[in-house]
Amino acid sequence: MHLKFIQIIGRQEWNSIFRSKIPLALYAVLLTVSLLATFTGWQYVSKFNQQQAAAREEVHDHWMTQPNRHPHRVAHYGYLVFREKSPLSFFDFGLDSYVGNSVFLEAHRQNTVNMSEAGFSNGMLRFGELSMALVLQVLVPLFIIFIGFHTVAGLKQNGVLKILLCQKASYLDILLGKTVGITLVTWALFLPLLMVSLLTGVISLSAGFNSEQLMRSALIVLLYGLYFLVITLLVVAVSAMSANARNSLMALVLVWILFFVVVPKSAQTLGSSIFAAPDKIAFEQAIEAEVSKEGDSHNPNDPHFSELKAATLKKYGVDSLQALPVNYGALVMQEGENISSRIFNKHFDQLIGAYKAQNSISNYLSFTDPFLAIRNVSMNLAGTDFDTFTEFQKQTEKYRFEKTKNLNEIHLTQISYKDDSKQKVSARNFQQQAEFKFKPLTIKASLAHGAVSLVALFIWVLAGLASLTFISSKRAYQL
Amino acid sequence: MKISQKILYLETKNFLLGKTVLIVAISLVLFGIYGFYHGSKIIDRQQKTIQSVAQVQKNHLDSIVAHGTGKPAGTTAYYPFFYTFHPATPWAKFSIGQRDVNPFTLKVKMLAIEGQLYDSELTNPLTLLVGNLDASFVFIFLFPLLIIAFTYNAISEEQENGVWKIVRTTTESITSAIVNKLVVRLAIILVTSLLIFMAGVLYLQLPFSYPTLQLGLVLLIYILFWFTISVFVISLGKSSSFNATTLVSIWIFLCILYPGIANVAVNSRVPVPEASETTIKQREGYHAKWDLPKKPTMEKFYAVYPQYRKYPIPDDKYSPGWYYAMQFSGDLESAHSSEKLFEKLFQRQKLSENIAAFNPVISAQQLLNKIANTDLTSHIRYLQSTKAHHKQIREYFYPFIFEESPTESIDWAGYPEYQPAGYSQDNLTGAQITMLIWTAVGLGISILLFKRNFIHIKDVQNA
Repeated sequence: MHLKFIQIIGRQEWNSIFRSKIPLALYAVLLTVSLLATFTGWQYVSKFNQQQAAAREEVHDHWMTQPNRHPHRVAHYGYLVFREKSPLSFFDFGLDSYVGNSVFLEAHRQNTVNMSEAGFSNGMLRFGELSMALVLQVLVPLFIIFIGFHTVAGLKQNGVLKILLCQKASYLDILLGKTVGITLVTWALFLPLLMVSLLTGVISLSAGFNSEQLMRSALIVLLYGLYFLVITLLVVAVSAMSANARNSLMALVLVWILFFVVVPKSAQTLGSSIFAAPDKIAFEQAIEAEVSKEGDSHNPNDPHFSELKAATLKKYGVDSLQALPVNYGALVMQEGENISSRIFNKHFDQLIGAYKAQNSISNYLSFTDPFLAIRNVSMNLAGTDFDTFTEFQKQTEKYRFEKTKNLNEIHLTQISYKDDSKQKVSARNFQQQAEFKFKPLTIKASLAHGAVSLVALFIWVLAGLASLTFISSKRAYQL
Repeated sequence: MKISQKILYLETKNFLLGKTVLIVAISLVLFGIYGFYHGSKIIDRQQKTIQSVAQVQKNHLDSIVAHGTGKPAGTTAYYPFFYTFHPATPWAKFSIGQRDVNPFTLKVKMLAIEGQLYDSELTNPLTLLVGNLDASFVFIFLFPLLIIAFTYNAISEEQENGVWKIVRTTTESITSAIVNKLVVRLAIILVTSLLIFMAGVLYLQLPFSYPTLQLGLVLLIYILFWFTISVFVISLGKSSSFNATTLVSIWIFLCILYPGIANVAVNSRVPVPEASETTIKQREGYHAKWDLPKKPTMEKFYAVYPQYRKYPIPDDKYSPGWYYAMQFSGDLESAHSSEKLFEKLFQRQKLSENIAAFNPVISAQQLLNKIANTDLTSHIRYLQSTKAHHKQIREYFYPFIFEESPTESIDWAGYPEYQPAGYSQDNLTGAQITMLIWTAVGLGISILLFKRNFIHIKDVQNA
């Protein structure tokens, strides 16, 4: 391996790409599309977040200005939480359009997060959404294929390869030089663009300088750089293995279709048929069955609640519910809430487990398809991934539980058992409750969720280099 | 055998012996089979769930009534859910459409409806994002690739290895040579697609009826469209590499870029802030009533249901009649934004149909979803049928609630049966004709280009 030759060939490749018109024309198209995607993405996210924030304010105002009410009525009045998009979601939409945007939190019931963008779409969404991530993940590889398919195969066709090999350069030097040249071109064309878009977008969307978001942006730039390197290695390898440029192009287009259309779709449908997840009715039925087995607060003869009654009476040393210093009705309600929330969380975790098992197929197939690797990590870093949404669901359920518990506490201590429903408590009680604030996953957690794909991306680089070494050692590929 | 027939036969044989043809055709058949399997699996599961609804409903009502014994109907009426479902048409297995995104069962209480209509189904969002590999995907996305693979080098390959010059000098008519090549390929494409389509009809047990015929017709037009695109690129008379690159780029443009941009356009032209507005309004509309005098609420209710005016509503304490009147006025107050939401969704549908007029790929997908009743419009029909059922149920139970009949004295399962939205045969002709026009335009231009680039060509040195 001679660094000098690699350098010379790399520079030569760089020059030859910039000399011809087609790469520049293609680049112009991609540049336009990605600027359009970035701008519309940014506009959409900021408008969407404004809308959600306005709705959040409205609900909060209603909450703060509500009159004196009975605490259990307030528990049913409930609260609406609106999901806001992460600052980096303008770059990679990820799952955002397919998950719900608002959830109604009330006593006794865990509602689904509703009103997803996909639910209001007539199906055009299913063709894929135009985001900058889509351009970089799907179209830039095609660009690399178009500028690189003839890089070695072309040299074979016009006999230049033989001349090069007769000089001091080894075949590996040539392959590495080509890789360096094409990679540097794609880096120069796309990474600065990516960096500038991310910085402007993030700073304007998160209103200021946020080190966590900047770190995520830096990682995104780094990983996309790595991804372009992987694709270039692949293109150079296929080009080196093909007898002529045409075969190389056909093979690469086929690989592109496999990597970007066939494998991702098959992987996910396969995952969902192997690991069955319950649908909503089955899920709710299972929870209901388990809850009624544990204790039924409506049934006066239920053993669980009879026990609670006996224990409470004993604790306060009285012999009737009316004589208790606290409101027994609230106690029963909170006990029901404890039971149903615990059982719901258990089933919910199982459901998420089933989904994760389904998604693991795509995760592990990252080792056969670099697109899956970058798709997964990119979503993780942009905060538009499965785990972020799961976290949102868990935090809203926790908030719902805490809020209801707090209201039951007020009910317990400030409402007397006799003539329960005719009483009200001061609205100040409700105003003191904390507002919901979503805490996004830390960067460390995001990376941990994307670990398999992250490893896969690094393995791809190593495998690409190894295959170039292998190809360069075969005489058949030099002819 | 006449010479022309013999040439046609040889051309067919020559084409079929190519390795690519076999590989591409076999992989497409395999994908087709997988698509049928996947489509029927998803829909069968949904249908199974739908079939379980009746039993779930019965058990649910039984336990509610058991708990409610001794209490007035107005108290018990708070608890029961009433299920509705959106049965799949036979063609949904072919084109799953939006059926995996939108809920296919809903349960509603007698309370205000607006907050209950938009509950989502439990689904893995990544699966939704990646989409289904159903028969419609195979035809819409993968079939064009088969057409491209079969045709991109129809003439250019022979030009590149020198055979074309011999053809040109020996054949009587260059036109018929070109036509032969294209006809053979078109015939084989049509035979492959017919085989896969028929296999699909049998596997998915589609009825031999008008919608199935329509399904076949849309696919036929779609295939002709892509064949014309291919013929157009060939008629430019460039190299195989150029043809392949151009065709794949066109495919990417029509299947990925154009829909992506169109989607952004639709979302920003017709945003739906009404979605959250409806929920907020309904919740406030109902809850504020608790703290207001009862009379205005009751008057709103009596305006629609005057027959309940005769039941006294005590002014100083809770009564079930008042409770359900509050729920009702919650709906009245959000009715405006709810209507607006539906209207916006129809606007979105209309706009994207207009956009699809310029892209037969989107158009074909929309047509398949329409035939299968798996599009947004069909889902809205389902929501409307749920609303209608909610109304039926309320009206069935109102008399018992106002009468304060005891729970055990009434027939809880006696409410009018849910009427699912039936199959809707939408108008498909407009979109089909637009697709045909594009095909015809493509063919016309190609013929002109063929004349210029292949037939009227003077022999140039080193051509």
